Amino acid sequence: MIVDPSLGLYVVLDGMGGANAGDIASQTARDAIAEFVAARRTAMDPRALLETAIQHACATVWNSAQTNRDRHGMGTTVVACLVVDPASRGEPGSLHAGAKRAIIAHVGDSRCYLLRAGRLQSLTRDHTIVEELVDRGLLSAEEAERHPYKNVLSRNLGAKPETRVDVVDLELKSGDRLLLCSDGLYGYASAEAIQYLLGSGDAPEHVARDLIDLALRGGGGDNVSTIVIETPQVAPTSTQVVRTHGAVAWWQKRQRFLQVAKERGITRNPICRGLSQDEALDLVALSLCQAIFHDLEKSTGVNVWTFAQNLAGPWFERGGEWSAVRNLIDILGMSARTVVDEIRGLDSKLGFLLDIAVSRALVVAELALGGLLAERLRQVDADLIHVHAAIGETIETADLPDDSARFLDSPTVPFLRPDRPVTSSGVSQEVLSAIGKTLTIARARTSPRAELVKQILETLETIATDSSGNFAAAVTAARELYGIRTVDDSGIMPIFDALDAARIITASSVHQISAPDALRAKVLAAISSAHQRLVAAMTGLVLEAVAPYSERLREAQGVTAQLRDQVARAERKRAELEKKFATTIDQSQPWEKRGTTEW
Amino acid sequence: MSTAPPVARAYDGLRPKILQRLMEIRSTLDPTLGRLDEVTAGAQINAVLDHLGNYLATGDLGLHRAFLHTFLAMRAAEAQGPAAVLAMLVAIGDTAAQVAQEDGAGSPAGTELTLMLTRVTASTARAVNDLIAEELERRLAQWRELSTKEQKGLPPS
Repeated sequence: MIVDPSLGLYVVLDGMGGANAGDIASQTARDAIAEFVAARRTAMDPRALLETAIQHACATVWNSAQTNRDRHGMGTTVVACLVVDPASRGEPGSLHAGAKRAIIAHVGDSRCYLLRAGRLQSLTRDHTIVEELVDRGLLSAEEAERHPYKNVLSRNLGAKPETRVDVVDLELKSGDRLLLCSDGLYGYASAEAIQYLLGSGDAPEHVARDLIDLALRGGGGDNVSTIVIETPQVAPTSTQVVRTHGAVAWWQKRQRFLQVAKERGITRNPICRGLSQDEALDLVALSLCQAIFHDLEKSTGVNVWTFAQNLAGPWFERGGEWSAVRNLIDILGMSARTVVDEIRGLDSKLGFLLDIAVSRALVVAELALGGLLAERLRQVDADLIHVHAAIGETIETADLPDDSARFLDSPTVPFLRPDRPVTSSGVSQEVLSAIGKTLTIARARTSPRAELVKQILETLETIATDSSGNFAAAVTAARELYGIRTVDDSGIMPIFDALDAARIITASSVHQISAPDALRAKVLAAISSAHQRLVAAMTGLVLEAVAPYSERLREAQGVTAQLRDQVARAERKRAELEKKFATTIDQSQPWEKRGTTEW
Repeated sequence: MSTAPPVARAYDGLRPKILQRLMEIRSTLDPTLGRLDEVTAGAQINAVLDHLGNYLATGDLGLHRAFLHTFLAMRAAEAQGPAAVLAMLVAIGDTAAQVAQEDGAGSPAGTELTLMLTRVTASTARAVNDLIAEELERRLAQWRELSTKEQKGLPPS
């Protein structure tokens, strides 16, 4: 065996041949491989290095057998693992944390197993005659098991001056365990038992010893060789900790959360009126508790957002007051903080991460409520204008010019000329591709019901990737979007809300594409520019649409000014009359005899 | 020697990094900011960061609320809806907390600052919603008054 962490080299060999020739073959091969790798490790590609080292060992064993009659026919199997990182300085039997890749090479029936995420898989295929017959479809797996020549090798090191080496290139993941072993192990221990021991979490050297014991108890001889190699667990990210331990810790405290919410008077909140105490706790407090749990588990905010909307939306629809919503959210927020503080007392690090995550969940709830409030404000504004107009409209309704399809034909807003050059032309294919990926991610992250946002994301892609280098794409797209809204009653504001939502989604989606920062910045700049063009075009359309009304407003202001002049003239006339009257009455007479005028 | 709490001092030390990150993403925070030149946009973002710092240092919610009220009014004058303003303020707070978490990973000061910034963001969101609700209430009162006048056939006051 070779266990050399300084080289990142781990090898199991199983010699064969009369007398002690098998041992000599394996030792010769071992030394040849170790020397070859040590001498050329910086000069060769790792994959070629390991393959050539094994070929070199094969030639060395064959040469040795040719020069000594007693060793004639000797050979050895080999399974070797080279950890690809020259800086390897780990303990024997372990991989250093920086290791990312392992090269596995083998000849014969020594094997390499990988245990990943609790699942055992063989990375090698035995080089036996029976296996090759199975590969060619000449034998079934069952027949191979019972075949008398099932252990006869089709390849080994030393039988010929050179052999074919099978090589596997493996990307390592945190927590992976590799097992190199001879047939002395797997011939006497079941795959299930190997998987169980390998996944036990015990130190690699203990696992290797347990595996040998297992094989010996199963009737194996003394030629059991095993090496267990482990990729250290990389410290989990804070997101992973919150998703796993944080979510569980939060959920385990749900009864406490309900208790605190009850103590703080949730059942007396007007929104819970009509519900029994248990119903109030179940339908309101437990729902938020569950929403936070699911959001922690999935690193999202969608459940809390939905909770807040479902809570406040219908309440507002029924004319409910904001103060009740505020009171309820405050009770739930304070209850959550109490629970998190208690978790923090038990585990400060987890409590800290949970504190941040729960605070963010409460921010999400506020954002959802803010959206509802803003929408109501917009509706009330619209109603106010309507009512005010109904009461005070004094201007005659004039026939307005037909402005349909006018904008593109003869635009009146200077900065929206369709032929105005913009800077997006000449964007590289790489940036275009990254823009496409970003917007694909953004669309995937958009709620299926947010049709308008999806449409805007598609529009943004069209504009951002438009190679014509002018403003036409933005104007055409804006016209399309504007056309949709003008035929329904919801007005233009939902478009601007959707534009905002699209902007936020694309900004975060840029960070999810796999690209260098410089490329991401270019993508962000291109999409932002497209977004600005779309918003500008949309604003232009709105200005265009309101232009006739502006003219009417100016006319109204003119009329108002004339009326104001008339009022001023009337005021002056009245003042003159008052003065005239004052001079004609006899001030010496008592008040009641001056006349009947009542002013 | 500064009398500001350690967390406020840590925030002041991190301000340049936070500002830099916000400047990088400013067009996604708000298209208006994206169109402004660096100096002007930097000044606007700095105004928000100043008030975040003041709130961290003083814990004076009344002062913070007054700033938010003015900020909402100014943005409304620029035709930016309150929901968008809320989203922008939350994005600024989140970015600041993210920078603090990255910069002070593992250190007690970094931990505390991250947590405080997250809480300040939550508090900001809460205050903005209260302000929107107050404005909504005021307009609803106005609407009720006008509706009554409409029914009685009176002119608007």
